[in-house]
Amino acid sequence: MIESILYGFQVAFTPENLFFAFIGVLAGTIIGMLPGLGPISAIAIMIPLSYGMYPSSALILMAGVYYGAVFGGSTSSILLNAPGISGTVATAFDGYPMARQGKAGKALAIAAISSFAGGTISVVALMLVAPYMAKLAITFGPTEYFALMLLGLTAISSLSEGSTNKALISATIGLITATVGIDQQTGTQRFTFGNPGLLEGIDFLIIALGLFALSEVCQLIISRNENTLKGKSAVGSLKLEKQELKEMAGPIGRHSVLGFILGVLPGAGATIASFLSYISEKRLSKDPSSFGKGNIKGLAAPETSNNAATSGAFVPLLTLGIPGSGTTAVLLGALLVVGVQPGPLMLQDHPDVFWGVIASMYIGNLFLLILNLPLIPVLAKILYIPKQLLIALIIVFCLIGVYAVSFNTFHLYLLVGFGVLGYLLKMFKFPAPPFILAFILGGMMEQSFRQAMTISNGSYSVFFQSNITIGLLIVSFLSLVLPTILGLTRRGKATESQDLKKEA
Amino acid sequence: MRTKPDRIISIFLLVFAGIYLALSFQLTKFPYAIIDSDVLPKGLGFLLIILAVVLFFQAKDDTEEDKKRRYVKKEDVIILLSVLGALLVYIFLLEPLGFLISTILFLLVIPFVLGFKKKLTTVLVAFLFSGIMYYSFNYLLNITLPQGILPF
Repeated sequence: MIESILYGFQVAFTPENLFFAFIGVLAGTIIGMLPGLGPISAIAIMIPLSYGMYPSSALILMAGVYYGAVFGGSTSSILLNAPGISGTVATAFDGYPMARQGKAGKALAIAAISSFAGGTISVVALMLVAPYMAKLAITFGPTEYFALMLLGLTAISSLSEGSTNKALISATIGLITATVGIDQQTGTQRFTFGNPGLLEGIDFLIIALGLFALSEVCQLIISRNENTLKGKSAVGSLKLEKQELKEMAGPIGRHSVLGFILGVLPGAGATIASFLSYISEKRLSKDPSSFGKGNIKGLAAPETSNNAATSGAFVPLLTLGIPGSGTTAVLLGALLVVGVQPGPLMLQDHPDVFWGVIASMYIGNLFLLILNLPLIPVLAKILYIPKQLLIALIIVFCLIGVYAVSFNTFHLYLLVGFGVLGYLLKMFKFPAPPFILAFILGGMMEQSFRQAMTISNGSYSVFFQSNITIGLLIVSFLSLVLPTILGLTRRGKATESQDLKKEA
Repeated sequence: MRTKPDRIISIFLLVFAGIYLALSFQLTKFPYAIIDSDVLPKGLGFLLIILAVVLFFQAKDDTEEDKKRRYVKKEDVIILLSVLGALLVYIFLLEPLGFLISTILFLLVIPFVLGFKKKLTTVLVAFLFSGIMYYSFNYLLNITLPQGILPF
């Protein structure tokens, strides 16, 4: 174990990989700050740059972009009350009031330190848990995998914002999109309409960039004249007093664990983790009325939790090869692009990638802390870039990204199509993460389903022979049905979270 | 009273699912495949029909918030469509004209369409960004972007 970790640090400490971790964190922070562009877009935009890189370097870069973007999101939450990503909405509840009291520097420092602590603690947990998960996963057969992926889909659908039915429709269309192309088992062409550009199926990058980046561009176009920065806000001192550090310790300890666990669970992730942490910290507090008015604990809790969840999400991705969220789905796609199939065998086949990435997370978190704190006032200037220029540049960047994978302009038209679809989805409140997750899992799900059915010679009973499979199927069924049954309690919660928002 | 938007979407989804199902039934079958390539598509088609029907009956009236969120000014619609048009022309010209020329043109046009006033900035950004991208992809990353009519 210790040998593996040292080996990981060896990989991560090469000058090249240090450089990539740095670039990733920096680029992620910048992209994450731009309202609307979250980790999914950030990772998708960076993929073309990773072509031809060593897989370990590529993943180190992507991981850096991922938690950089989460961190960047908190910066714009605190300074502008404009969360860059949904995972940092709760950050704004107490972070923005602090900034308005002239304590923006303090708020940023608290966010950075909590993020660092949450990230680092949960990386330790990741290191301890992952090898055991991988060992367990080796015993998994096609039915277990199928049930697990189904759970991932139902969980993300029932946890999505808004109607579960709409999330399921989104996921179903994602699965339908995944059926385009040559069928892997029989070689039949499905829904290609004789177009050679569709034979290999639709590249996931087209979907990721279209649904997330280009659809955001539409939003940016509509809001192009609104200035992102409403007046200059002085950042102020970044120094924290001992008392303030002491106050942060409790929430950091609690929520790095909670965040990690929620990150590991399929469907949950940074958004839910940060909200739950905020609510629970408020419940624990002796003075709940101070929340939403610049309470240090109210800022430290969600910030710790969203970063811890980010590392937690790597557990199922690296050990099972199954993403639990939209963002990790895009990461999985990025890994496949550089030729690594994550899963239980990754620990054996690509230990450099596995341990290198984990080690790089320590370094990335450290970079986040030492680099971003002094640089934040500088980085915040990015928000002064006129939106009109930014829009044009993002569009070109997306197009290059897709063109560089396929060298086929047909795919660029497809990209535009998915951009329009993404915009419509948003307009009519259909969540996009279930779509991309279903699209990524679709091929794998079909394969394991068919393998299982082939083993059993066409009998569905194969799905009821393993306890793990049965358990997973029951949980995925419950994840869909329970929210409906608990509808009443949920309504109660909804008003509560509205209260929270109002307070903020 | 206006029709609820979710109802219109659900009808659209039903039509889509119908076409998808019809296509699934036309897929070639193999006599020895236990689960053939048409099984999943058929299942998904039927699933989508069920979900669309549920959506039809669940459809709620728009709240004020929904209406506000969906409302796009006429002026913005025109701009969105212009950008879309420019984008399609850009893609069409990408290979014949080459990356450099078409990207420079695109980057000159879009900020103008969006109402950006500083001409010098636009020109500088268009030339610098296109040049840097072209150079980094072609020479640093060894990914060849279309050269088009230019000799380099």
